[in-house]
Order: sequence, then C-alpha cells, then structure tokens
Amino acid sequence: MDPLEAIKVTFFQECEEQLSELESGLLAMEQGETDSETVNAVFRAVHSIKGGAGAFSLEPLVRFAHVFETTLDDVRGGKLAPDNNVVKVMLRAADVLADHVRAARDGGVVEEARSQALAAALEALNGEAPLAPVVSAELDDMPGLEFTPLTVSEDDGFGDDFGFTPLAAGIISLEPEGPALRTWTVLLRPKNALYAKANETGLLLRELKRLGDLQVSIDRSELPGLAEMDAEHAYLTWTILLTTDRSQSDIQDVFEFVDGDCDLSITAEDFAVSPAEIGVLGGDEPFDVMALIQQAQAEVQAAPAPVIMAQAFAGPASPPAPAPAPLAAAPAVSVSSPPPSPVAAAAAVAPDAAHGAAAQQATIRVDLDRVDRLIDLVGELVINQAMLAQRVTESGVPRSSNIAMGLDDLEHLTREIQDSVMAIRAQPVKSVFQRMPRLVREVAAMTGKQVRLVTEGEGTEVDKTVIERLTDPITHMIRNAIDHGLERPEVRVAAGKGPEGTVRLSAVHRSGRIVIEVSDDGKGIDRPRVRQIAIDKGLIEVDSNLSDEDVDNLIFMPGFSTASSVSDISGRGVGMDVVKRSIQGLGGRIAITSRPGQGSTFTLSLPLTLAVLDGMVVSVCDHTLVAPLTAIIESLQPKAQDVRAIGPDAYVIAIRDTYTPLIDVGAMLGYRTTPLDPTKGVALLVEGEGGARAALMVDAIQGQRQVVIKSLEANYRQVEGIAAATILGDGRVALILDVDNVVAARRREKARSDAKLATVG
Amino acid sequence: MPAASGISVLIVDDQMTMRALVRNGLQQLGFTEFRDAVDGEDALRQLISRPSHLVISDFNMPKLDGLALLRAIRGHPPIAKTAFIMLTGRADRELVQRAVQFGVNNYLVKPFTVTILKEKIEAVFGPLT
Repeated sequence: MDPLEAIKVTFFQECEEQLSELESGLLAMEQGETDSETVNAVFRAVHSIKGGAGAFSLEPLVRFAHVFETTLDDVRGGKLAPDNNVVKVMLRAADVLADHVRAARDGGVVEEARSQALAAALEALNGEAPLAPVVSAELDDMPGLEFTPLTVSEDDGFGDDFGFTPLAAGIISLEPEGPALRTWTVLLRPKNALYAKANETGLLLRELKRLGDLQVSIDRSELPGLAEMDAEHAYLTWTILLTTDRSQSDIQDVFEFVDGDCDLSITAEDFAVSPAEIGVLGGDEPFDVMALIQQAQAEVQAAPAPVIMAQAFAGPASPPAPAPAPLAAAPAVSVSSPPPSPVAAAAAVAPDAAHGAAAQQATIRVDLDRVDRLIDLVGELVINQAMLAQRVTESGVPRSSNIAMGLDDLEHLTREIQDSVMAIRAQPVKSVFQRMPRLVREVAAMTGKQVRLVTEGEGTEVDKTVIERLTDPITHMIRNAIDHGLERPEVRVAAGKGPEGTVRLSAVHRSGRIVIEVSDDGKGIDRPRVRQIAIDKGLIEVDSNLSDEDVDNLIFMPGFSTASSVSDISGRGVGMDVVKRSIQGLGGRIAITSRPGQGSTFTLSLPLTLAVLDGMVVSVCDHTLVAPLTAIIESLQPKAQDVRAIGPDAYVIAIRDTYTPLIDVGAMLGYRTTPLDPTKGVALLVEGEGGARAALMVDAIQGQRQVVIKSLEANYRQVEGIAAATILGDGRVALILDVDNVVAARRREKARSDAKLATVG
Repeated sequence: MPAASGISVLIVDDQMTMRALVRNGLQQLGFTEFRDAVDGEDALRQLISRPSHLVISDFNMPKLDGLALLRAIRGHPPIAKTAFIMLTGRADRELVQRAVQFGVNNYLVKPFTVTILKEKIEAVFGPLT
C-alpha cells in the first residue's frame, strides 16, 4: 500500500477514537464538567481531526472542523460560556462532524443543508464567522502582516523578528564527506547486579574498542577503604571517550545484556554530560522527571505573555483593541485567536496529570484475524489437553502419580491461557453505549419528546463479537423505549412526572454473564392493548388466561407490533421478536418487567464469550449432550408420585408445589419413540428466556465441564433444539442443547394443543 | 553539510496519524533514525535516557504540551541543546512567539509538504546533503 494510504487508514481509525472522545467530553460538559482539561480534550479532538484531514486535503471535513474548532477555541479561551444551549449545539455538530468523517472515509457526501445549518449555528455562537478561510490560508502569510523573510523559509508568515536560532554549525559536527567520525562520551556506572550476573566491565570495554578509539578514565572516588569495602558492591564509574563512525545505537548495542544493570549515558560530544550528572540518567533513584516538568510548566505560566502584534476583534463583546505594541508597526491585523486569559493559559499548559495518565494507555493494534486464530488454537489446545487427561486416566495411572499431577498443572495453565486469550477479545461496551446519545437526540427530536439518557457500566467488558452484535438490539430497544415507553412532555406533566423522561442503559457482570438493562420511566406496557392486539392478530385466544408477565412477553412474539401505524422510528414491522432472536443467537436471554405508569425494563443476559461454555454433560439414549450450565437451576430424580400425565405423551412434574412441564429430550430429538420412564432418569430444571421453566428428562448426568463451542451451522446446518456442538475429551462430538429453544418449542406445542382443545370444547 | 541519516529525530505528537506523516516526510528526506513519543512527558523521559538531535513536537498534547516540553528540554543541561521544531495546527502567531521566547528553533504549520519540512529542518541544521 502507498504509505500515505496506510496513514490515511490510521487517520480514520484515530478519527473514530477522537469522535468518541469528543462526544464523551461534550457529554461531560453537559453534566457541568467544564474544567479546562475536559474542554481542552474536546478541543484537541476536533483540532486533531482537522489537522489530519488537512494533510489528506479532505476539504469539506476540514471546513466543518475548522468552524467547530473556532467555536471551541472561544470556549477554551473563556470567551464563550459552555452553557447547556452551547453544548447542545456542539453535540449536534459532533454528529455532523462524525458524518463528515465517515463521508470522507467511505466516499459519501454529507447532507449539505444540515452541515451548513450547524456551521451557521456554531458561528452564531461565537458571534462571527471564522476569520481564516481554512487550509490554504494557513499556509499563506497571515493577512495584513508584512515580514522580512526569514533566512531560509519565505512562506512562513512570521518574520525574522522572531529570531529563530539556526543551528547550522551547531549540534552535530559531521564531516563534509565520508562516514562521519564523532566522539561519544559514554558514562558507565555498573550496579551490583551487573557483577552479580557475571558480566565484566573489561569485556564491555573490549567490545567498545572494536567500534573505534577509546580513552578510558575511571572514577574511584566512591571506593572506600579496604576495611569498609563490600566485596559485592559496585563502586566504580567509567568515562569513555569513543571516537567512531558508528551510530549511537551501535554503541548502545554493546550494553544490550547489561541493560538495567548499570547507569549508562551515551552522548555525542555536543551533548556532553558531566560525570556529576550521571546520577540523573537512570540511576537507582530515578531522575525526577516530574520535578523538571513542573518547573517547566511553572516557568511557561510565569513567562510574560508575548507582545501581541495587533488585535482587531470585530465581535460585539470584544474589548477595544489595545494600542499597538512597538513590534506591530504593521497595519492592524486580524489574529485568529484572542490572547488567552492568564487562567486559561495556565490551564492549557498544566493539565491534570492523573487524568492524562488514565486517558493514555499503552496499547498495540493487532489484526483481529490473528487474535481469532489464536483463540481457535487455544480451543484446540483445551480439547487436546482434555483428551490427553482422559487417556491418562483410562490407562490406569493413579491420580497421585507425577503424570496425573503434571496434567493437573497443565490443565490449570491451559485454563489460564484460555482466559487470557479471551481477555484479548474482550472490550468495554462503551463502544456501543457511546452511539446511543446521538440516537436518543435524534429520536427525541423526531418524536417531540424530552429525553435524558443515563448510561452506567460502560467499562464492562465482553467479547468483541458480542459487542458488535449488541448494537442493533440495543438501538432497537432504546428507540422503543423512547417511541413507545416515554410519554410526551404534556402527558408526563399531567401524570405528575417531570416533562423530561429518562432512559437508562446499564451493563454489569453477573455470575459469568453480562447483564444489560434498558429501562425507561414512561407509561409501562399497556397490557389491555397488548392483549387486544395479540387477540386481533390471532396470537392468542380471546379467553386465554394470561398473567401480567405472560401479557408483557407477548411483545416478543413474531409479528407482534404495538405501533398502530408503523412509525419511522421503531422500524417497519421489525418487532421485539427480532431483538429476541438476535439476543438468543448470542446465547443470551431477554426478559421484560413493566409497571403501569412507572416504566418498563428490558433485561438482556449474555455470555461473556461465544467461544466456551460451562456445560453439564448428560447422556440421552447412548448419545452425549451438553446443557449450558447457566440455564440449569437444579437437577433431581423425579419420584413417581410427582409426575402427572396431562395428555397423551404430555407430563408435568411437581417441584415444590409448582407444576412444571416435563420434556423428554430423547423423544424431542428423535432418539427414541417410546417415552422414558421419568423415574428412571434425571430431570434438569431449566429456565428459558422470560423465566419460563421446564424439566428436561435425560438418562443420566456425566458431569460438569467447560466445552469449546464449535458452530454446527458452519459445519453442518442448523438443527432445532441444538445450539452448537463440541468435542469431548474422548474425541467424540457432543451436541449442545439450546435450552431456550427446547422450552419455547414445548410451549408452542402446548399452545397449539390448548387451542385444539378449546376448539373441540 | 549534515547528512539527514546522521540526524536522529524524536517525533512527538499524540496523534498516530501525525507521527506517521512526519515520519513519512522524514523518510523521504533521507532520515533514518527516528523515535516516537506520544506526549511531552513521554518525550522528555525518552530524551533523558537517550538524547536525539532534533525534536519535532506538536504543541497541543495531553499531560505536557509542546511549550512546556521545550522549556523542560532547555532547562535540563544534558539535553538543552537539542534542536526543537514546533508543529502547530494553526498559524497562531502568539503561540509561535511564546515558543521563540523559550528557544524554539523553528516551527511547522500543519498540514505541511515535504518541501516545507525540508526547509524548516535546513533552517536549523543548514543544507542537508
């Protein structure tokens, strides 16, 4: 790839990061966090996008970013107070900026009217049009300023009145031709560890000698008298003048193996360091960089503001232009930014160190394919390890033997590797949550409702695949919450609520799963209406006896849509059943609770990873199956008196005074035709989505095990009642039960037979 | 006349894009020794443990901005002579003036061309071979 193209890809990736920083910064400002670091971070995000866009000549993006930046600069400079109104405009501008970035990336076009409207709104905020007409202007001379050209560059717009320091004969003294010979000062102070690791200064010096001429002097001043001398302590410091044509890194390489075991400084003669200063170069007590930084920052702050050339701000609020300072012999001129107030200037150079530290984490970018390949391989490793363990057990090696114990260690280690590898794919849900404020703004604007979005637990981590597939369901649920859940402001006020509704989006880890909740404080589910719609659509019988919970769950039924007219917002006939299906596709469950007049809560529970599963291994008619452990509430051996027949081949089982449908897994999967005698098997009490319970009859339980999920669909095809497959320790393939599907299939069957009975009756 | 390959450069910018652009420009000019730093503090730590001949640094960065970095470099004798070129996003005269007060050797306005980058470096080091 053309290097510039590659950089462009990086640029767009970075833009995404900056856009999300921009949005979270603005949201923080909306909450009243208008400290200089937040404002500066927001400014920096837009500034950086503009800077990069300029390098790639992305004109529309640069133009919009420039207007945005100008307004932000006013906020930063204290000229514009970031009140709610200002921040709201900026949030909308951030959305448009995001559109511009994506348009530039994907070759689209941003709706010109919208972009212009927001640019105008931004300009209205700072009370003036931005002065510089962007890209080209910044390379040109500043308008109205006349400069004597600087010695070398003539395009810079600043004169030699600045007195830049040319270093022509300065820092590096290179020979005119041929390899340059330079003299380096190498200061070497071994630490005790250097000798302790059997390294030798003499050998290092011999290595250095191979690079060029050496002059070695030794500092023995720290050497104590013989009596006090500690034989294992390092007392000596060497100063080596090395004249060589080799590079600094070549010299550095000599010390490769003693890195960290000595204080070392390699400087060209021009950088010469006095021996007294070697202590600052990575000694036992690290040189206090922070002190140097703080001093520098204090000095930058304390420095008198430079004489401003001239200032002519046309803005209504601007103070009268100060008398031109001597330097400004040039005619009055427009400067693109006002002199920052001392406070703002101080803030700009003294950011909160802790805050910055949190924002900057050491990261590397890795191709996702590589990670997935690793995860796949680790999956194979886990299976192989399990198979090996099983074979060792089968070969009669006692559990206390070294081999068995070694295998235990291996298993432990394998698990840790697996967890660590999974953690690579784990990402905070922030990336999904961050898209929601924009959605809420848009839907609120479309519906004329006032909405406040509250997010919690953005840092909760879950597998990247899960995250990617969460966006659509969450988007849909939030739209629903605003469109169907929340009332219009006047209705809310009439109901004694505040005019602004709240939609809450939260994520939390709970017992090995991630639980995401979308709740609103709206009117709750209109149960009579839901029931009527379900009847009208033939989903339930007119006289069905349904609990409130059952009614709430009707909204998940395929084809159900409560909107009497299909609205723009909640999709076209795409109902909650689609949401439910996609959540189930991720091995997740969805449930709803609702209280009339107080709102509804959708709860999603999802596995943290799609690659492994804690399962209960069971046998059914000589087949081995795996049931997800998370779905199992308990297992029990049914007693004859607890089992009741309620129809042909239909049984229920009494578990603590509640009748629960009994599902014969073997019959359901077609493994057997004659039903299993319930008292001869084991019942797994499971909970499907929406809290529906059933007892799954299996022949026997083999044990619990973590299994690596292999897609059945990818290798065979989708099978009703089966979620995926796995390979067991003995090499056999076992199918993983789709508990939700099994329970739901049973319910559908029951509903049909009930309907039949009703017709007959 | 210094050879570009003999000048080691520390590129300081919180933007990976900008660092890559500067590096790309320097490569075209024949430079071979560069390191990256993500902010002023990172740059200072790197310089102290291993000096560079030239620092090309952004101004607006988290933690320690370009101006304070410049001041810190000039205030620390072992590295005080390091050449320093300030990258600025906008033709902000006041900022450049402040940088001059602290001994900046030149400045570079983003976006820049390779030609301008060369000119600015030559203004500091003299014509490159």
